[in-house]
Amino acid sequence: MRGIVSEANNSEAFSEAKMSDVAVIGGGINGCALAYELAKKGVNATVFEKGYLGSGATGRCGGGIRQQFDTEDNIRLVMESVKIFEKMEKELGYDIEYDQGGYLVLAHSDEEKERFKKNVELQRSMGLGVNFLEKEEIKELCPILDVDGAKAVGATFCQTDGHANPFRVTEAYAKNAERLGAEIKTFTEVKGIKKEKRFEIITEKEKMFADVVVNAAGCYSKQIAEMVGVKLPNKPYRHEILATESLKPVLKPMIISFMDGIYFCQHKTGQIVGGIGNPDEPSGINTESSFWFLEKMASTITRYIPSFKNLNVLRQWAGMYDVTPDARPILGKTNVKNFFVVCGFSGHGFMVAPVTAKLMSELIVDGKTSMPIDNLSIERFKKGVIRKEGAVVG
Amino acid sequence: MRISEHPILSFDRGKKITFLFNGKKISAYENETVASALTAAGINVLSRSIKYNRPRGFFCGIGKCSSCLMTVDGVPNVKTCVTPVKDGMVVESQDGKGNLPENKEFKSKKETLHADVAVVGAGPAGLSAAITASKHGADVLLIDENPVAGGQLIKQTHKFFGSKEHKAGVRGIEIAKLLLNEIENSNVNLLLNAGVIGYYKDNSHMLAVVQNSKLIKVYPKKIIVATGASENMLAFPGNDLPGVVGAGGVQTLMNVYGIRPGNSVLMVGAGNVGLIVSYQLMQAGINVKMVVEALPKIGGYIVHAAKLRRLGVPILTSHTVKNAYGNGRVEGARIVKLENWKETGEGFDVDVDLICLAVGLTPTCEILFQAGCETKYIPELGGWVARHDRNLETSIKGIYVAGDCSGIEEASTAMMEGRIAGMDAAEKLGFKIDEKEKKDAFENLKTLRSGPFGEKPRIGKEKMWGRK
Ligand SMILES: Cc1cc2nc3c(=O)[nH]c(=O)nc-3n(C[C@H](O)[C@H](O)[C@H](O)COP(=O)(O)OP(=O)(O)OC[C@H]3O[C@@H](n4cnc5c(N)ncnc54)[C@H](O)[C@@H]3O)c2cc1C
Ligand SMILES: Cc1cc2nc3c(=O)[nH]c(=O)nc-3n(C[C@H](O)[C@H](O)[C@H](O)COP(=O)(O)OP(=O)(O)OC[C@H]3O[C@@H](n4cnc5c(N)ncnc54)[C@H](O)[C@@H]3O)c2cc1C
Ligand code: FES
Repeated sequence: MRGIVSEANNSEAFSEAKMSDVAVIGGGINGCALAYELAKKGVNATVFEKGYLGSGATGRCGGGIRQQFDTEDNIRLVMESVKIFEKMEKELGYDIEYDQGGYLVLAHSDEEKERFKKNVELQRSMGLGVNFLEKEEIKELCPILDVDGAKAVGATFCQTDGHANPFRVTEAYAKNAERLGAEIKTFTEVKGIKKEKRFEIITEKEKMFADVVVNAAGCYSKQIAEMVGVKLPNKPYRHEILATESLKPVLKPMIISFMDGIYFCQHKTGQIVGGIGNPDEPSGINTESSFWFLEKMASTITRYIPSFKNLNVLRQWAGMYDVTPDARPILGKTNVKNFFVVCGFSGHGFMVAPVTAKLMSELIVDGKTSMPIDNLSIERFKKGVIRKEGAVVG
Repeated sequence: MRISEHPILSFDRGKKITFLFNGKKISAYENETVASALTAAGINVLSRSIKYNRPRGFFCGIGKCSSCLMTVDGVPNVKTCVTPVKDGMVVESQDGKGNLPENKEFKSKKETLHADVAVVGAGPAGLSAAITASKHGADVLLIDENPVAGGQLIKQTHKFFGSKEHKAGVRGIEIAKLLLNEIENSNVNLLLNAGVIGYYKDNSHMLAVVQNSKLIKVYPKKIIVATGASENMLAFPGNDLPGVVGAGGVQTLMNVYGIRPGNSVLMVGAGNVGLIVSYQLMQAGINVKMVVEALPKIGGYIVHAAKLRRLGVPILTSHTVKNAYGNGRVEGARIVKLENWKETGEGFDVDVDLICLAVGLTPTCEILFQAGCETKYIPELGGWVARHDRNLETSIKGIYVAGDCSGIEEASTAMMEGRIAGMDAAEKLGFKIDEKEKKDAFENLKTLRSGPFGEKPRIGKEKMWGRK
């Protein structure tokens, strides 16, 4: 069914105001990818972005793509996403600096080891090529890593994990969306939304009417939802990250430890990019860089890879995680008709964006999705019993 | 290619040493930097670029452009223009991205320092600020990433203009000596080879400083940022060839290290910097083929231009460099004639081994921007600057600017601004200051900006303060 969109298009009101089928709020990876997927289905989307494209969490993220989660929803989402990433350069005609160097998830205790073994079982049962590695095998796979310094006792490794450049992916989606007819308005902040027959989107520059609104505003999605009276349980948390000078390739896989809260990789540009979570970080929007982070990151990463002591940090910055109570995203409908949410991605909204965009475009245009996403609907929080994703940092 | 005789300068090079460059023994002196020693040995290609593997040489000579990155004792990405050369050092040109040393010991140290006032940058502005704040009783820490204090001033061999009280008739290097002398006789704590890598809020202001392998956390009550400026690049094909250098960089090589950077020079830009450096090049025995200036008139003082003309150096206005050519280093340049900023079709080639750019400076404001100071774009001041009041305080309480990083001017105004910032910081810390001294400093600054060459910064500052 070209349902929602075509149905609403028939009414003739608001003729002098600008019209769009779908208004997408937020020009991060999720908003841009969704505009593209909608455009592919012949639906006009207008993306509203208050800054530049990628100015939210997207342009500040590490670009990591990891399928090794411990809840089925997350594993399945990223596995589907990887299929899209693998063909993305061809489909979108952009070099996205995609690198499937694999992802090494370190275990630091017997307890963690056991848990990881169970994860591997689950992941393998879903068709993921993942292995458990003993200490010696880690050394073989990643000789530059000081396994003892990192206090690792085992690890899981998946070769098809990797990373890509978030700016390039966002731009690739945005440019292709525009090519197919979407409109992207940067430096245009949505100040309010009125719900009458249609949605009226209020910006400083103009008013605009849309049949469908999608909230992809990252850490501001709570505020956007409030504009139409929808309550979201999300909380914003700062997360910091840094990049070093470029080096010749020295680090193939991306490395993560949930115990230390650290993750890092070497990008195709040669830079080492990584972050570390601060368990004491208070909730709130704050993109200032802290010295605590710089010191903590430096002392931890050089324990993992001692030769990094000779490396200079080029820059550090911070971005916002949009965190839900179970660290899993919120996707789908809300109790306001035709107001959809795509948010709450914590530290992994980049990697799942290609697939969430596809699914959301299906939901909006066809009314149903090719993969179940009911578990990720906002309704789950009302039921009370939620299963928290454990394989996350920060 | 070391200068043996100089009409004004003598060089204290220190002991003779040897180091290895790509496996070859090179002799040098202990008071030289790695890059200056290599230039003296006739080596121009220091590394190759990351993306297209193009040869890279020295450009700014003051640690600001990253054009001189090399691998030193196994450590990649070392800024060799501010790294002192040492006996037995192993220097390798870096082929694009660097490699890490495998089994190198690295002992890092940490330290915490407190101060009433931390001054970043020990050029004329920073030196004056530190001296003034200290004189009024403040406990001052002065930090500079170069191995020598003095900023751009320590290489200015020409006599300054203006009135007597502004040290007119005195050479820049002499003024620098006076200031450094005052610092030595003061309680100022001077940290050299120490780069400020960031500003943080840690309850109060905090500066992170890296000195060799030591990380120093500095907690000052007030910060005066006097980081100077970086030299502008000009866009033309071949502008990255080794041998295309900043005028300030050339001045450093010649006048600080006594090294001849080339044999025949094309100077681009006929402002004061271009004219003065051309004259200094002639003094060092280097042939300046010509000065080209895109504007229809000479921008600098006529006296400086006349000195050059007397030596037979042509100054071509309405001319610019179209491209540089050469195999791995500058061998010449194409000069074209302009009319209303358009090429007329006339042009010629000039054979030179050095193209010296004197096309303006851009304030070095990273620390201020990172701290979150309000910014404003003011072309007359050199671009983006941190908005500041007449006392040089920025929109963030307790953070000051002074000198070129507050807007491009000259050494005399830099010193005056430093003095004002130092006094205001001291006063706000509760130290008693002499009202007359402050008033005099303001008067001085006004006088310095009153001439025709003070017009640009005067307009710029007024734009900032919101007057027409
Ligand atoms: C430091 C850090 C590292 C990370 N590392 C990874 C990683 O390695 N892998 C991974 O998958 N994920 C990572 N993430 C998470 C990932 O960045 C996010 O989940 C993802 O980018 C979210 O994309 P988005 O498009 O939903 O939101 P955003 O990119 O935040 O985009 C939302 C946009 O909405 C705009 N907006 C908000 N309000 C309005 C308004 N009123 N009007 C108009 N526009 C508005 C914002 O300006 C913003 O650009 C990381 C995040 C951070 C902060
Ligand atoms: C080639 C040339 C010729 C000139 N000729 C004249 C002239 O004839 N007469 C005249 O009046 N003016 C002249 N000037 C201008 C004058 O030199 C400058 O205006 C003056 O030096 C500015 O002083 P300053 O203290 O602001 O900055 P600078 O002298 O540039 O000093 C800044 C200092 O800050 C340090 N620094 C920067 N960043 C950091 C950091 N993060 N951490 C630690 N240290 C840092 C630098 O190493 C440097 O030592 C000339 C300039 C140039 C480039
Ligand atoms: S940083 Fe060394 S030449 Fe510019």
